[in-house]
Amino acid sequence: MVYKITQTKYRAFIETLILTLLILLIGFFVGYFVESARTGNVVSAYKEFEVTALDLKLQNYYYQIMDSASCERAIAQNFIFADDIYEKGLKIEKYEQANDLSEELLLEKKKYVLLKTELWLNSILLKKKCEKPFNTVVYVYSQEGDVLKKAEQDALSGILSKLKEKMGDEIILLPIAGNIGLDIVDLQLGIYGVTYLPSIIINEEQVLEGFHSVDEIEAYLK
Amino acid sequence: MVATLIWVYSVMFFFGIYFLLLFVVLYMRNKEKLNEFPPITKEYSVSIVIPCFNAEKEIGETIKNLLKTKYSQLKQIIVVDDCSTDNSYNVIKEYADKYENVLLVKTPKNTGCAAGAKNYGAKFAETDLIGFSDDDSRPLSDAVEKMIGYFDEKKVAAVTSCVMVQNKKNFMERFQDIDYKVIAWSRKVMDFIGCVYVTNGPLSIYRRDAFEKVGRFDEKNMTEDIEVTWNLLSRGYETRMSYAAKVFTIVPKKLGVWIRQRVRWNVGGLQTLYKYRKTFLSKGENLFSNFVMSYVALSFILALFGFFLFLRYVYLRAGKYVLAIPYIFKGYNPFAFSEFYFPVTILFILGMAFLALSIYYHKIALKSFGSKGKGIWTILTYIFIYRPLYTIPLIASFYKLAKRDIGWYTK
Repeated sequence: MVYKITQTKYRAFIETLILTLLILLIGFFVGYFVESARTGNVVSAYKEFEVTALDLKLQNYYYQIMDSASCERAIAQNFIFADDIYEKGLKIEKYEQANDLSEELLLEKKKYVLLKTELWLNSILLKKKCEKPFNTVVYVYSQEGDVLKKAEQDALSGILSKLKEKMGDEIILLPIAGNIGLDIVDLQLGIYGVTYLPSIIINEEQVLEGFHSVDEIEAYLK
Repeated sequence: MVATLIWVYSVMFFFGIYFLLLFVVLYMRNKEKLNEFPPITKEYSVSIVIPCFNAEKEIGETIKNLLKTKYSQLKQIIVVDDCSTDNSYNVIKEYADKYENVLLVKTPKNTGCAAGAKNYGAKFAETDLIGFSDDDSRPLSDAVEKMIGYFDEKKVAAVTSCVMVQNKKNFMERFQDIDYKVIAWSRKVMDFIGCVYVTNGPLSIYRRDAFEKVGRFDEKNMTEDIEVTWNLLSRGYETRMSYAAKVFTIVPKKLGVWIRQRVRWNVGGLQTLYKYRKTFLSKGENLFSNFVMSYVALSFILALFGFFLFLRYVYLRAGKYVLAIPYIFKGYNPFAFSEFYFPVTILFILGMAFLALSIYYHKIALKSFGSKGKGIWTILTYIFIYRPLYTIPLIASFYKLAKRDIGWYTK
């Protein structure tokens, strides 16, 4: 039997094209669905902080009028808030890394950074009002950067997590994105003379630029 | 940047998935014809030319093997000694003295390439068809007769065989065995649309007048078997493959030899692409200009892009850890707080679809060889360990091109 090439050979190309487009469309559709769901989770996780933000604002008013007898309770409450925000923040940032920072996500992130800045300001206020001192370690990092920057930030972030684990309730650790276009953050960084990201502001007194070991940071704590 | 990369990946996935699917679709439509071959209705006379250079250990066995060929019209086995410096000449002479149909010829001086010796040997062939084999290839005794029937079609100018690996001991040899099977299967699938674009060196038979008409093998090309096929296709001839015609060959045992062989294949492929660039998308009766050229060109481009994207991925993922090494000495433990988290993204899903399709492609290719095929782990090892080795000769080939370290401007 003489083997003949089928006359409809071009049909295979068209069929394959349709199948390929179908696979790509399904892939895009499922992927978009998964990514949207994850973005939704991040956004709703940020939104959960809205009540916390209002709570913090009221606490701020209260700290301004309270007497020193309430200090211990106020400081303890401030720690609980800070730890809660820190823990939740770690989870959110992990999910956030999987997606591009969309406009919607950026807006929510800004709200979150404002909330942490408010917590920082509350801590400053509490330290001024109450005699019992505690440490604030503000980790200002860059939202963008190359691999070298990421390596430095990951290392510093790891060191600060280790510090927090070691010091527990003796420090309030506040990671804040330093370059996402928030005036209050820019103002604070200007006040403390932060010109390099990442940096650590310890007790509003000392600015450590770049990576430092646990021992080096600890030396500046009270 | 990220959006651009997503588009680059998507385009790559499109072509990657398209080509894999095309093979699967063509196979599904024709799988019952895989091992079919046309019966012999006319007995064409055949000569087989074997170029030989310093192959004293293999050439005797190669001739002995060809003498077992069942096809009755195999008139001559022309063994071309390309001025070997070992004992090849005497080994061939023993057979030539003993067997009437074995002819020993010697080139006036070493041609420096298999194409030169093959062309020299072809001058002595006076048969309807002329076949070529390598000095280390072993066609099965029924291989030739399973190829002859294709020549009943007037437009068929060349028929090639299914090359398999003879030596399968170490890692490189075993994975080349898979490689050759997958290549042979994909070539046969291309045969279903008349797109056999390589007539291999281990055993291919050409219609002598067509072979002469296209000017024989291009001695400046590093892969004369690819070049001559493209030459034939570009002139409207057809080339076919007989999957049932099996020929065994010896593959490189060591990585270094394998790299040199693949560099030659790549550079030869690129030379051929360049030489026939003007026939791209020109009108023709076969799919050569419309499909083969773009398929081969895209294969090179996709492999190269894929390699650079892979490097970028490794740099971004692993680079972070490498760059963090100085901090480790200051107490940073990169694994202390990192949880394993692999986000499912659009590209991840497309990548998984491509991988699943790729596994299926290899599975059906290997299964077509009659056995149960290979297990999933073997296929995954082939895909993730052996195939990435392809990038070494690929980069080396482009480096050679950049340096113009080849006979680039042929004709």
